[in-house]
Amino acid sequence: MEKELTIDILSSVQKPARYTGGEFGSIIKPAEEVEATIALAFPDVYEVGMSYLGFKILYHLLNKTAGVQAERVYAPWIDMEAKMRERNIPLRTLETEKTLAECDIVGFTLQYELSYTNILNMLDLGNVPVLSADRKDNDPFVIVGGPCVYNPEPLADFFDFAIIGEGEEIMIEVMEAYKAWKKAGKVGGRVGFLNEVVKIQGIYVPSFYETIYNEDGSVAEVKVINEAAPAAVEKRVIKDMNTVDFPDAPIVPFNDIVHDRIMLEVFRGCTRGCRFCHAGMVYRPIRERKPEVLKELARKLVDNTGYNEMSLVSLSSADYSCLAPLVHDLIAEFKDERVSVSLPSLRIDSFSVDIAKEVQAVRKSGLTFAPEAGSQKMRDVINKGVTEEDLMNAVAAAFKSGWNSVKLYFMIGLPFETDEDILAIADLAKKVQYKYYEITGKRGCKVTVSASSFVPKPYTAFQWFAQNDIETLRRKQFLLKDALKVKNITFQYHDAKTSIVEAIFARGDRRLGKVLLTAWQKGARFDGWSDCFSYDRWLESMAECGLDRDFYAARTRGENEVFPWEHVQPAVSRKFLWREWEKAQAQELTHDCRRSTCTGCGVCQKLGVEIIDYKRGEA
Amino acid sequence: MKLRMQITKDRDIRFISHLEYVRTIERAIRRAKLPAAYSEGFNPHLKFSLASALGVGVVSYTEFVEIELAEPVEIEAAARALDKALPRGIRVLAADAVANNTAALMAEAAGASYVVTLPYDKDISEAVANYNDAVELLFKKAAPKRKEKFKEIDVKFYIPEIAVELKDGKTIFSFECKITPTGSMKAVDLLNALNEAYALELPIEMADIERHTLYKFTKRGKKVPMLNKDAVKLQ
Repeated sequence: MEKELTIDILSSVQKPARYTGGEFGSIIKPAEEVEATIALAFPDVYEVGMSYLGFKILYHLLNKTAGVQAERVYAPWIDMEAKMRERNIPLRTLETEKTLAECDIVGFTLQYELSYTNILNMLDLGNVPVLSADRKDNDPFVIVGGPCVYNPEPLADFFDFAIIGEGEEIMIEVMEAYKAWKKAGKVGGRVGFLNEVVKIQGIYVPSFYETIYNEDGSVAEVKVINEAAPAAVEKRVIKDMNTVDFPDAPIVPFNDIVHDRIMLEVFRGCTRGCRFCHAGMVYRPIRERKPEVLKELARKLVDNTGYNEMSLVSLSSADYSCLAPLVHDLIAEFKDERVSVSLPSLRIDSFSVDIAKEVQAVRKSGLTFAPEAGSQKMRDVINKGVTEEDLMNAVAAAFKSGWNSVKLYFMIGLPFETDEDILAIADLAKKVQYKYYEITGKRGCKVTVSASSFVPKPYTAFQWFAQNDIETLRRKQFLLKDALKVKNITFQYHDAKTSIVEAIFARGDRRLGKVLLTAWQKGARFDGWSDCFSYDRWLESMAECGLDRDFYAARTRGENEVFPWEHVQPAVSRKFLWREWEKAQAQELTHDCRRSTCTGCGVCQKLGVEIIDYKRGEA
Repeated sequence: MKLRMQITKDRDIRFISHLEYVRTIERAIRRAKLPAAYSEGFNPHLKFSLASALGVGVVSYTEFVEIELAEPVEIEAAARALDKALPRGIRVLAADAVANNTAALMAEAAGASYVVTLPYDKDISEAVANYNDAVELLFKKAAPKRKEKFKEIDVKFYIPEIAVELKDGKTIFSFECKITPTGSMKAVDLLNALNEAYALELPIEMADIERHTLYKFTKRGKKVPMLNKDAVKLQ
């Protein structure tokens, strides 16, 4: 690395350790043992990418596989990119310093729509042709996976195939298939391998499909044009989280990364059924890990990393069936080693506050709750299943335990929302503040209200919903801002423009590939960073490609409209989602199937998996 | 007891910051399961310290870490355990132990030797001779964390003499730099001062700076190594 990234370059950029590797736990195999190299490519900076659990898992599993070397590569920040372009320095992996072009497979994770331009930029910096159609036999296969893979269509021109669902098993199968194909002399060239790999369940090859559009721009049909490809690709799931391998010696970075602590994944999936939530639909069903398995993992992780902080992660950790005894045992086990235990989020109830109190025994921080909406009507629309009383009980418990500040998360721009619903957010924040006065007799409780602009996502009940336009979102932001001009209440919100672009790509189709390419050529990258984002550049690029912002973002879809993404399947039935959409309009709730009856989303039956919850049947 | 070890910051991790280096060593101490002492309070921290802060980009073969222990350990075994728990790029070279009430290692450091290599092939021996003959050389260094603020230092006080050789098209400086209770100066500022005082054009941004030794003085002013004579050598 030093030969290209010379002392003067590394001395002049921010956080140079992003680019030099060598961290404890990073793996470099002897070259003669390596048959295939895969670069795990995260389309954002090092500190963000290194915090991603999915890649920690895959890095560990792939490097455990004989003949496979997994390496890491992150998007260079703009200061470094400028130096690289100026001196013609290619983007290389951190481990063996291969250019992306020298890898066999380059795998990007799709975490966020606004990181898509970074994928194009990284390929280009790594000397890989950006368009898959331009790649030759000696170029790597570019693959994608992660949560946004359930609508990969805007990226269809750029990747060779996609991994649909959880990666633990399928990634090994793909690498084995690749090694065999390479050993046999790369039979049939690139298409030869695609024809092989598509036989693995969960593999989606976009070039094997063609999208046909109606005159109004909506999708008429997605046609299979290679008979080897399935009509719909169903996601892969890990049936038993207790037997699947979990990394027990992850890389410990030098840098202060975003989540710089042990991440212990307690379960996968969430079936609370919030109607806006993409993760809640695509990661079904619930599969818990046994407390004994978690405790054993925790011990190894503490020993192998030296971290003094551990977070129990999942989509909703407070729902873990054995949470109280687990937290209790972990705290007792690691007390002498000064390891603190934390939860990334709290449920809105006093149970959560009790747990929070226990974990605070070692370290203290603020409490965050997510009522998501201000009025009961809106909380019923989104199926949050939480009442104002629940929130008041939770904050009362927190204030009694000594906390004097809370953060509340909300969304604005939800379906069926009126100005009264927006103002209800302000009322709720004030009631929380008053609760503090009631309990402590003191004023001065700090409340932070954070409101994000809602983005409708595919495979949710709100996939039919027309996003609020930018003027409406702005007006609602100001309405709330004015209503929250109260002492000790802080209001945080983001520029609505990024939410519009996010919405375009979230429910976009293949034609948006041209827009991505155009915007990237005009300099778009790091769109998720407000100082790099240019709304005008996106609008210009849309216009040049003859596509309409509102068609994608602000259009109500019909009940029977064919979506561009339906051949990629998280296995949640469309009928279930439509039923949820109708129930949202009627403000009717749907219960959590975790410990109760099936609500008919269809995932378990379709994929042959079962809910694993250690309190199942007790509720 | 206090365990003291001489460790490195090798070339491949030279660009991690001092704070990152400190945190990395703390985690290695925990991985090595050394029975380190912790402070009391809500945020207990491990009791250890480093002898001096090294600039980002500077390679060193002579960093020192001092760890306060809750119970005594066997020195060599502890040093080997820590060495194993460190990332590539930090090695344990030697170790010794002293009583808990011994003064901090940091306070004892009196000087360091440096080698600085520059891709520069012009003859600068005249400027170097002038420097060595000069009584003082004042230089305005940037004061840390204060933009547009400068602090004037006498470079000659810290670095009385420099040696230079031209080898394979590269200019190689060797010198020793004083460390006083009120501070020291950065090796890179010597180059800045030379450029300024003698109108040189040394490519400072390309400077490859290595710290080779750190030492202390005896009461009689004799230069001695930081660790005791009987320190265990690992490599």
